[in-house]
Amino acid sequence: MIEKESNYIQQIYRIILFLIGLWFINLIWPYISDVILMLVFAFLFTTVLLSSVDAFERRIGNRSLSVLGVVIILLAGVSTFVGSFISQISQQAQDFSQRVDQDTMSNEFKLLGEKINSALPSFIKTDDSSSDYFANKLTDITQTVLGSLGSLVSTVGNFMFIAVMVFIFTIILLSEYHTFKKALVNAIPNKYFEVGLKLIYNIEKSVSSYLRGQFLSAASVAGMSIAGLLLLNFFGANLTLVIFIGIIAGLANLIPLIGPFVGMVPALMIAFMNNLGNEAATAHMFLGTIPSPFFSIDIIFMFLVVQQIEGNLITPSLVGKSVGLHPMLVMIVLLIGGTLLGPLGMLFAVPATGVIKVILNEIAFVRKNAHLL
Amino acid sequence: MKSAKWENIFKGWDNSESETVHTLKKVPVFKEFSDKDFAELEKMMHHRDFNSGDFVFKNRAPGEGMYIIMRGSIKITVGTRAGNENVLAELNQGEFFGELALFDDEPRSANAIALEDCTMLGFFTQDLMILKERNPVLGHKIMFNLGGLLGERLRKTNKLLIKEQSK
Repeated sequence: MIEKESNYIQQIYRIILFLIGLWFINLIWPYISDVILMLVFAFLFTTVLLSSVDAFERRIGNRSLSVLGVVIILLAGVSTFVGSFISQISQQAQDFSQRVDQDTMSNEFKLLGEKINSALPSFIKTDDSSSDYFANKLTDITQTVLGSLGSLVSTVGNFMFIAVMVFIFTIILLSEYHTFKKALVNAIPNKYFEVGLKLIYNIEKSVSSYLRGQFLSAASVAGMSIAGLLLLNFFGANLTLVIFIGIIAGLANLIPLIGPFVGMVPALMIAFMNNLGNEAATAHMFLGTIPSPFFSIDIIFMFLVVQQIEGNLITPSLVGKSVGLHPMLVMIVLLIGGTLLGPLGMLFAVPATGVIKVILNEIAFVRKNAHLL
Repeated sequence: MKSAKWENIFKGWDNSESETVHTLKKVPVFKEFSDKDFAELEKMMHHRDFNSGDFVFKNRAPGEGMYIIMRGSIKITVGTRAGNENVLAELNQGEFFGELALFDDEPRSANAIALEDCTMLGFFTQDLMILKERNPVLGHKIMFNLGGLLGERLRKTNKLLIKEQSK
């Protein structure tokens, strides 16, 4: 009887401690959230690059030089991609601004409005001059987008700071990964040693197989998008920067649900910029029936097809199995992650749930076998 | 003049063999390994200290891998400690036990108890899996040697069984 009562007291004591812990985390969260986010990103990058660094180390026998080599190769690749993308996109913007001035753009929007209006069924048509309405609306939108570019600059500054910190953390983690891991493993008491080791291994496995699946999935989206855009060019879509658009679509695809739509945006923008003033492109009809100015409907349709192939064939076999979560649970955690942390929350929701699942499984295992440990 | 800084910079230049490698060289599972292989293997080993009388593992407990005795000695037993304990073997420095757990998910088939203060080297399924990914040749070498050892033990058991049956 006394033992039962003391068990209850212990349980209440634990719950109070847990609640105090939660309250404390909530209190300090605003001050540590950025650092934790940076560490999580650094850990993810480390997981991706670790096998390359290890392989390099086995060849040259020096960890620091291996990290340096892999980082230099990575930086060279990223800077070549970003540099060449920026130069090409600024060239594209220059060409566009030389070709089209404000009046031409308004006229083009007016023309486009008339075309869309004429294609609409009669019961939807408005009595007022809808062509002006469309033109004003589209011009407003374009000006708002250009105006918001200013605030983008400050965001880029903040992003650069985070990127540099993540980069530094990644280098440290890559250099000392095995030392840190060994220190963590050594801290486990003998009683829980084997179980703890298994837990760490399973977390590593879950995260790395999820990331591998995501990157393969992104690569397949990039490949399919490039092929689709080239196919549209074959039918006269006049799209440039096809490889960049494909890679952006692939990278955007890493963010579930909204990513695929983000991938479409550059393609639509390029199609608009390249085809503005082109009579044939403005009057283009998708499958000869639906008005598709600047091949917009064709582009959206192509991306939807790519998403369907990726979502129904590629991802389930590459990513779904890697974390072993039910599709319904994936949707729920994505929504929770999105509500809590926005796109970043969506990016981390699935792997974080995978890790929590591994931990819960191990806790259940330990509880079941506690008398044997 | 010897300073900690210089020692740290030239860490690893000293070619003398560590105690871990010295112990590993005695284990038949790692026979015909090169110095480079031992260096790689050394990184994967976990050092664990046990006090006299501690359980290294218990019978029926989930097993994850093998232990190599670096210092001290242990006994392998079945039954509980209170009265009906049956000692199957006593193992000393350089000997190993628990290797069956590297191959299957079955629970441990006996207790392992430290007879004195011990230092063990732990090598676990997870380490073997990582090694197989990072260095497949080395991973296969270990699997092959372990297979050979298990085959040898099976042959000995068969001989004993035949001997018992023919009595």
